[in-house]
Amino acid sequence: MAERSFAKEVEDLRIGEGEVFRGEGILAVTKALLQSGVSYVGGYQGAPISHLMDVLADAQEILGELKVHFEASASEAAAAAMLAASVNYPLRGAVTWKSTVGTNVASDALASVASSGVTGGALVIIGEDYGEGSSIMQERSHAFAMKSQMWLLDPRPNLTSIVDMVEKGFELSEASNTPVMLELRIRACHVYGSFVAKDNVTPSFTLRDAMENPVRDYDRVVLPPSNFVHEVEKIEHRWPAAIDFIRKHRLNEFFGGATGEVGIIVQGGLYNTLIRALELAGLSDAFGETELPIYCLNVAYPLIDDEVKGFCLDKKAVLIVEEGQPEYIEQALNTILRNGDIQTKVIGKQVLPRAGEYTSQVILSGLQKFLGKFAPQAATENNKTGATAPSPESIKTITETVPQRPAGFCTGCPERPVFSAMKLVQKDIGKFHVSCDIGCHLFSILPPFDIGNTTMGYGLGWSGASAFNAESSVRTVSIMGDGGFWHNGLTSGVGNAVFNRNDNVLVIVDNGYSAATGGQDILSSRADNKTKATNNPIARAVRGMGVTWLKEVNTYDVGAMMKALKSAMTTATTGPKVIIAQSECMLNRERREKPLRNKAIRDGKRVVRARFGVDPDTCTGDHACIRISGCPSLTLKENPDPLKSDPVAYVDNDCVGCGVCGENAHAAVLCPSFYRAALIYNPSFLDKLLAGFRGAVISFFQRWGDAKRARYSFGAQQ
Amino acid sequence: MTDRRPIKISINALGGQGGGVLAGWIVKVAERAGYIAQLTSVPGVAQRTGATIYYIELFPEELSAARNAAPVLALMPAPGDVDIVLACEIMEAGRAMMRGFVTDKTMLIASSHRVYAISEKIKLGDGRQDAADIIDAAERTAGGFILADMEAAAAAAGAVISAVMFGVLAGSGALPISRNMFEDVIRASGRSVDENLGGFANGFEAALRKSANGAPQSKPAPGGAAAAVQKLLTRMNNEIPGRAQFIVKEGVKKLVDYQDIKYADLYLDRLARICAIDKENAGDRRDWKLTCDVARHLALWMAFEDTIRVADLKTRASRFARFRIDVRADEGQIVHVSEYMHPRIEEICDLMPAWLGEKVLSTPALRSGLSVFFKKGRRIPTTKLRGFLLLNFIGSLKFLRRGSLRYKIEDVRINDWLQTIESVAREDYALACEIAGLQRLIKGYGDTHARGIGNYQTLLSLLDDIKLQAAPADTLASLKIAALADEDGVALGTAIGRLQPGRKAA
Repeated sequence: MAERSFAKEVEDLRIGEGEVFRGEGILAVTKALLQSGVSYVGGYQGAPISHLMDVLADAQEILGELKVHFEASASEAAAAAMLAASVNYPLRGAVTWKSTVGTNVASDALASVASSGVTGGALVIIGEDYGEGSSIMQERSHAFAMKSQMWLLDPRPNLTSIVDMVEKGFELSEASNTPVMLELRIRACHVYGSFVAKDNVTPSFTLRDAMENPVRDYDRVVLPPSNFVHEVEKIEHRWPAAIDFIRKHRLNEFFGGATGEVGIIVQGGLYNTLIRALELAGLSDAFGETELPIYCLNVAYPLIDDEVKGFCLDKKAVLIVEEGQPEYIEQALNTILRNGDIQTKVIGKQVLPRAGEYTSQVILSGLQKFLGKFAPQAATENNKTGATAPSPESIKTITETVPQRPAGFCTGCPERPVFSAMKLVQKDIGKFHVSCDIGCHLFSILPPFDIGNTTMGYGLGWSGASAFNAESSVRTVSIMGDGGFWHNGLTSGVGNAVFNRNDNVLVIVDNGYSAATGGQDILSSRADNKTKATNNPIARAVRGMGVTWLKEVNTYDVGAMMKALKSAMTTATTGPKVIIAQSECMLNRERREKPLRNKAIRDGKRVVRARFGVDPDTCTGDHACIRISGCPSLTLKENPDPLKSDPVAYVDNDCVGCGVCGENAHAAVLCPSFYRAALIYNPSFLDKLLAGFRGAVISFFQRWGDAKRARYSFGAQQ
Repeated sequence: MTDRRPIKISINALGGQGGGVLAGWIVKVAERAGYIAQLTSVPGVAQRTGATIYYIELFPEELSAARNAAPVLALMPAPGDVDIVLACEIMEAGRAMMRGFVTDKTMLIASSHRVYAISEKIKLGDGRQDAADIIDAAERTAGGFILADMEAAAAAAGAVISAVMFGVLAGSGALPISRNMFEDVIRASGRSVDENLGGFANGFEAALRKSANGAPQSKPAPGGAAAAVQKLLTRMNNEIPGRAQFIVKEGVKKLVDYQDIKYADLYLDRLARICAIDKENAGDRRDWKLTCDVARHLALWMAFEDTIRVADLKTRASRFARFRIDVRADEGQIVHVSEYMHPRIEEICDLMPAWLGEKVLSTPALRSGLSVFFKKGRRIPTTKLRGFLLLNFIGSLKFLRRGSLRYKIEDVRINDWLQTIESVAREDYALACEIAGLQRLIKGYGDTHARGIGNYQTLLSLLDDIKLQAAPADTLASLKIAALADEDGVALGTAIGRLQPGRKAA
């Protein structure tokens, strides 16, 4: 079960013609898929499209009614290969993932399906993880569209446009026998808005129809000579068909004044930001009404030569607002105009930055430069807000005061103790090279752990250290999450190490979910899942691959974790060594257990809840405990001792009682300040009896002690 | 062209704080009040404890209907163009200002509480940033500024912080929407409705007050000191200059509590020597800095944390009362507490008579033989009789302390330290004060304590070099900061390397 439940939102997927759908962008896409009569959907979760996967997982019932098959694919490659169903049959299918990383993984299958061509509409929905909030390398998915010749849709970021483009995307795909990519930026995926819905459509030709009436067409297989034919087909048939469709259905839009000396060409996804920039410059109103002609590319690839030429013909210069690099569209515009012998200047990266997200501020500044040069009469230094922002100097001290907030492990996270143990082992046996993977565990590279050298991709933790399979007095440690393990780490990591007789160490962090992407179930999840086969232990797979040195450790036992690591690093046994560090993701566990616990308390059942605390009068304010933990709930408090200036450690009320701070205090021999408190709800008779007895004895001694101290009282505080 | 622009609201929150809940509520109340609402966010990794922004734009539905067109709403806040900023923590208000969201047209609503960043928490000393800067800038910059401890207000009502912020937003009048409509949204949420309405009310009222103050602190009635203590205080009043008496009194109090009256007398004896030197060196014109500094650090050093002290503190009634508050136990609820303790052979020997402790530690066979019993950490159940009586017994061993190995070691260290201060004070008053402050390096237990002592000794061994530097006191001060910068001693090593040529420590 995923981090967020969409059980409620799923019901909105049923609404019909004329009703208003309200929700997040990615949910609107889901609804649009159902309105398009899709037969199958697959994908791999990851921000910003995780919610699409989660909502479909929660919508099994509706999908069943509509005969839609949904698959939580093993990887993006698996998802992309799923589109093969649309090659021979008139089946509409959609797949989704985080891009560019997911597209990298999927590209083998994508290239194949793009070469074969499709009969049924095939849509690839990519969450373009670029700019603020992104967690990956900053690249463009645009390149994949060009290299494999798939069409790239980049709709204006409002729900109506997005939904419309999903539906048109399928039609375009079928009209041009080409898979279509639909690109949504992070904020568009999460944008809350509304659109007028249509009825859901049950596909007229189903997966079952296809399976029971198989069709084979040798021309569609990527093998000589067909592969050569495909290339020609792409150029001679599919491309022109796509151009016709895009033009005929006006997928690209023209806004603003019809004529003018200058104009703006913008990627659809950036349209709203451009309008805001124009608004700030006093050149547009809140409805986007402007004198400046705008050509909005809801189809970022391919470009429609005639539309481009028509837009540019009467203009001195056009500004191309294209985010990221290389500037493929700008280059293509120049080619089109040059070939058409049109002298309009194309201004893009000359005035806009080559790298980084295009915010309204960035576009505004580029726009002003552009207008200043080519349309000075339109250029304004206007600030329509009339607001006075503070000068940078006046708030300069703030920049030194406000701390960075790197991401970190959640309160109670079972991965924290793995790195606490690793930090302590490094103190003991010296530093070693650590190869990281993708997942929550990658937060180890940030303070306070500062562990990890590289991260090469999902599931590639161990292969990222495969070169270090050499004679050495120190072994390397690689990290892999359970998500990455099943994604491809089993083969590219473990299989690779076994086959090449690797002598190094792998730590697999097994928290029961694909936690970083939102807590989705995977093969080794312990939970029962109604529609998926879980409970396939990682250890069995690892042994099956031929690993013999294998230890399974409960992560919260820091001492055992240290022992396992140390033994793996120092054992005389050669060959690959794998430690499986197990404990359930605390977010998921709390989400499951907290309501049950609260209910039990309400129902009068005896419940014991644990949490931790620090005694401020024995804490000396060195914060060593924080440096090997970084738990959000382990924080600071003013030192109650007026003689001491350094703040003491303090466990706040978010503590979930995982016990790592106490285990760390033991393992690192830190200090005696940590205590575990067990709070008893609805105590039994025996609890009360014992507590009464203990309380009486203890308070006798305590009163005695207080009385002794009272003899040396300083009087009450002034 | 219409002049009407959307209302732009930015929520600057921390991952896991529930900023999404607040954003969702604002969207709902705006929709009820006839606005078209758009909300965006960039969750991703920021969800896990990072800083994150939720951004909302509102546009009157009737204007849209009149134009028969949808407004084009932006997906991210533009610097200089945000009407309302809700900062769920004071540093996030600062971040909003850094990003230029706060102008003279902006209503800035900020919670004054702190959620410390990891960089602040991991420092060996005090890494906390001062929010005064942010508050000052907010007052100068924002059109409207409402500051209140919304976390405390939420806790008081058992509500989520979002409820309080929602209340402040309603009370601020920044949105032309009635209080009822806001409250209806909380009611419709169906979750902890009463608590959240309580939190909302707290926030609403805080907004009306413009700033919420904490409950007034009641002062206990002054009471008299015990006779034996009175003697000490009289002595202090006679011997210690007034300026230093506050700190010295705290020191005396600590040491009486730590050991006994005699021990506090020893403290005053030691201070008297320092005080005399302070007088000779025009201490009265220097706010008696040397006396104050030594008084503070001498008290802390003399109250070194040995096992007796820890056991004593752990078993007191006042501590039992405190942990109940800290873990938020209900009235009368049974709470079992167990301590994470890891006494090593060293701590055990510390307790022994000095000759015996030394013998054990210097005899490998004895040491390793006994170590076997102290390899593992122990969990001592203080609220059960077994644990309580054990700790209470150890805590009652104060009378053995003066003969213990640890006492002997610390006594020598303290005397050396005081002698160094005395001899340096005559030549360089400021440097002597810095040497007094070196005690701050020595803290913690076990390895942490050993590291502190090591750094302290390293710096003292450099004293001759330091005296040769242009500004010896400043040099030592910066070396101390370096010693507290990281636990591996990297910064300290670099700082020592930068000392002007002279003899450098190995």
